[in-house]
Amino acid sequence: MKIMKRTVLLLYGGVIAAPLYIVFISMFKSSQSFFASPLGWPKPFTLNNPITLFREQPMLQYFLNSVEVTFSTVLLELLLSTLIAFAIYCFGGKISAIVFALFTAGLIVPSQVNMLPIYSLSHKLGWTDHHYGLMLVSVALLMPVSVFMIAGFMKLLSHEIMEAASIDGAGEWQLYARFALPLSAPSIAAAATFLFVLVWNDLLIPMLMLNGKSKLTLPLAMLQFRGEFVTNYPMLLTGVVVTAIPMTVMFLFLQRYFVAGMMAGSLKG
Amino acid sequence: MKQIKFRAALLILSVLIVSVLSACGSSNANKSNTASAGSDAGNKPSGDPVTISFIHWRGEDVEALNGIIQKFEAANPGINVEMQTMPSEQYQSTAQAKLADASVGDVFTSFPGAQFGALAKAGVFADLSGESFLSNYNPALIEAGKQDGKQLAVPYQLVYNDPIYNVKLFEKYGLTTPKDWDGFLALCEKLKSEGIIPIAFAGADIGPGQLMNSMVMNNEPSTDIFTKVEAGEAKLTDPFWVKTLSQFKELNDKGYLQKDALGTKDAAAGALFIQEKAAILASGSFQLAQNKKQNPNLEQQLLAPITVAADQAKYEGIHTTTFMLAVNSKSKHPKEAKKFIAFLSGKDIAGEYANATGQNVTVKDVQYTTPELQVATAWASKKTLFQPRFTITNADNQKAVTNSIQAVLSGKSPEDAAKEAQAIVDQHLTK
Amino acid sequence: MRNRKLLWLFLLPGLLLYLAIFMYPTVTGLFYSFTNWDGVSPSYHLVGLDNYKDTLTSIVFRKALFNNVKFMIAVVLAQTAVSLGLALLLVKNHRIHVVLRALFFFPAVLSSVSVGLIWSFVYDPSLGLINAALDRLGADAWMQNWTGSTHIALYAIAFVQVWAHAGQMMIVFIAGLQTIPEELNEAARIDGAGRWQIFRRITWPLLAPSATIVVAYTTIQSFKAFDLIFTMTDGGPNYATEILTTYIYHTAFASYAFGPASAGSVIFLIVLSVLTALQFRLLRGNRIAYS
Repeated sequence: MKIMKRTVLLLYGGVIAAPLYIVFISMFKSSQSFFASPLGWPKPFTLNNPITLFREQPMLQYFLNSVEVTFSTVLLELLLSTLIAFAIYCFGGKISAIVFALFTAGLIVPSQVNMLPIYSLSHKLGWTDHHYGLMLVSVALLMPVSVFMIAGFMKLLSHEIMEAASIDGAGEWQLYARFALPLSAPSIAAAATFLFVLVWNDLLIPMLMLNGKSKLTLPLAMLQFRGEFVTNYPMLLTGVVVTAIPMTVMFLFLQRYFVAGMMAGSLKG
Repeated sequence: MKQIKFRAALLILSVLIVSVLSACGSSNANKSNTASAGSDAGNKPSGDPVTISFIHWRGEDVEALNGIIQKFEAANPGINVEMQTMPSEQYQSTAQAKLADASVGDVFTSFPGAQFGALAKAGVFADLSGESFLSNYNPALIEAGKQDGKQLAVPYQLVYNDPIYNVKLFEKYGLTTPKDWDGFLALCEKLKSEGIIPIAFAGADIGPGQLMNSMVMNNEPSTDIFTKVEAGEAKLTDPFWVKTLSQFKELNDKGYLQKDALGTKDAAAGALFIQEKAAILASGSFQLAQNKKQNPNLEQQLLAPITVAADQAKYEGIHTTTFMLAVNSKSKHPKEAKKFIAFLSGKDIAGEYANATGQNVTVKDVQYTTPELQVATAWASKKTLFQPRFTITNADNQKAVTNSIQAVLSGKSPEDAAKEAQAIVDQHLTK
Repeated sequence: MRNRKLLWLFLLPGLLLYLAIFMYPTVTGLFYSFTNWDGVSPSYHLVGLDNYKDTLTSIVFRKALFNNVKFMIAVVLAQTAVSLGLALLLVKNHRIHVVLRALFFFPAVLSSVSVGLIWSFVYDPSLGLINAALDRLGADAWMQNWTGSTHIALYAIAFVQVWAHAGQMMIVFIAGLQTIPEELNEAARIDGAGRWQIFRRITWPLLAPSATIVVAYTTIQSFKAFDLIFTMTDGGPNYATEILTTYIYHTAFASYAFGPASAGSVIFLIVLSVLTALQFRLLRGNRIAYS
């Protein structure tokens, strides 16, 4: 059993890691050596690709744009949707069902249908080409996913604890901040990582909202690389690696604190 | 419980700190950006500088155009040009919304055919008729930007959509460019027997849309055949298209295209040619410069397959004029926008653009310095046909046509593939 | 919970933003399904149900719908099974498990454009990793024209979809599994229950909320999959990977037919609502803690 378990994990690990490894080493190949041996070890080993990328592109600016947009969006999203989820939890009955359905209905709307109307609305509001506009639009568009996840988990909270606390005189705010939030922390953390990834990697909405080159986020920038590097595969893959690095680092942080730590200690604590 | 709260607080705090820091960081960065822009503006005369937006889909031309924009800004103090590019697929979606309300693209570019038609109908083009810079262009080559007698856009690039071949490989095996279909097949057979891939074909993306043009040019009964197909006066099941499809099938079945051609993308097909594993690359002159950059030893020429007997050949190849420069009709700075196009239209600047990007241009009397560009110049005197694919104005129909090529390459009979494509065209007829 | 007014205040900011920026544009978008708007022109007029008639009879639309259903079934089955399996293997917080979770989750942090670029390269018949590996292992009979074959391209992309998102769903399952008290399993084991029985009688029913999330989310994801197909095959070869979102996109933005594209979206919404409703009903059957 143990051997089988290990084999399965090892195999799956290989399936995940092999493509990433190949992409990673391509970063250190010249175009010629890449085409001569796409899968081999980089020979000669060169740092030209990342150096060229950083020299020719304002990578730091793109990175900071992404950080700003992602953090502000996720924070606001979590704030609004935990409030909503808490209200859904407390209302109970028909109102809960209706509000929950209203939000989750948004899950099935393909962005192709509302993309032009959203654009023209935000243009009228003067939100286009501003990071705050992008943030507000993203928050609205992500509402269905985050309400769906967080409300789903909050429904599992024990009503007894809440009632006991409210008999002790705790008001709605306190119930929300002292009980609902900490008790559903693991699911909020899961939702947070989830949203974080979605916002960081989102392409369509930033593409719609942003114009100026100094405002672009990393995925948008990568789309430009795709045009600029055309058949230069190693450069393109370097772009892929470099745009993924901040998220990878962030994820290691999130993984450790959000998923593992919070999940393990929270419910028993 | 306490521990959780502490952790949650720590987490939120750290998140806040990072986001505050990043906000500071980016505002600093913005400041430094405007500072450098300011110093540029320092040696300009007073008056508010006007910034015009220039959007297009040629990411690979950014470097060359940056240099040209610098020259333009130096020559026209008070006008800044902000350039933005998007890959061509995105260019058709988000760009159209932004163009329609003029939030970007005082100067923009358009594809000929379906996109040009739709943007023209929406009134996005400012009329350029009568502008003096038009006289810099070869009049025949800017026809594609005309509608109802008005010059709405100016095609800037001239492309020959004919396969590229490796001259040294041809010489090595004593091959010459064939004059008819049998000759073309014999050429492929010879290459194959020498262990060389005769034709590298990007079947997954651009291949069908490029090669179909030279394959159909001598098979079609008239140059407006696709217009007739779209009007219901001719059909894809007519001999001209079935024959073209069966010739595609013949190339594939005899192993003259590389293995798994339908899974091969543009870049990978290009790679086969660049590494000299393939002798012919079924794309167009727009790739000559890229190829040369990756393999400086390459010597390249163009070669269109002649699908009929030599005495029945009407055309020697295909040309397209594209990257059509235009001014947004809602632009707040039309004068400056036109000034920029006029600047691009100059013989010397067009030459600089052409030589730096490896693209031929529609501007007259341009001096080309690279052998790749001269390859294409030699084709100016040949009898070429405007790309038939772009005479299909409905994008669904265009796709049905190119997909029928993919269908025969995946094993369908030419008759069935043509029938399926015609069924899709028929659905658009009734509208 | 007596102070209902205050609860409305909790609800309001998010609700208003959602109604204004999401729902209102969506309804506007759907309105265009009754018009002949091209997406660019300032003017359009009403055409009744013509767009619906044309869309429902369209050969390409039917292909897209059919492909989408196949794609969904493949992705939902594979992704739920893989993520649940991984979650069961990695549920305990060993150090090595935490590392593996991170690795398996990792593809989900990449943008779909990156994933698409990476896998276009992996699947490439001449440069690609898979065919080269199969060739070297002597299994060259298994070499395939992965994204170029009209028969397997759709499944090749489904595989990538699972590769990218199974780890994410695994986290949802792990979160769910860790809410199951260890004592419950312990008690069952003492009562002589086997592994399978424990899974069937305790784990699975208690996992229902997580499973509902995973299945519903995966279904929606597979219907809304766009970036991946767009970067890898753009619906080709010969419509073999055209799904509803790529169809809607092509209709709206390549063919400049926003009206028919919106009609396609409405049909898309109906199909997806029916499917999700069905799933919720099915999964509700074995739920305990969700009432």
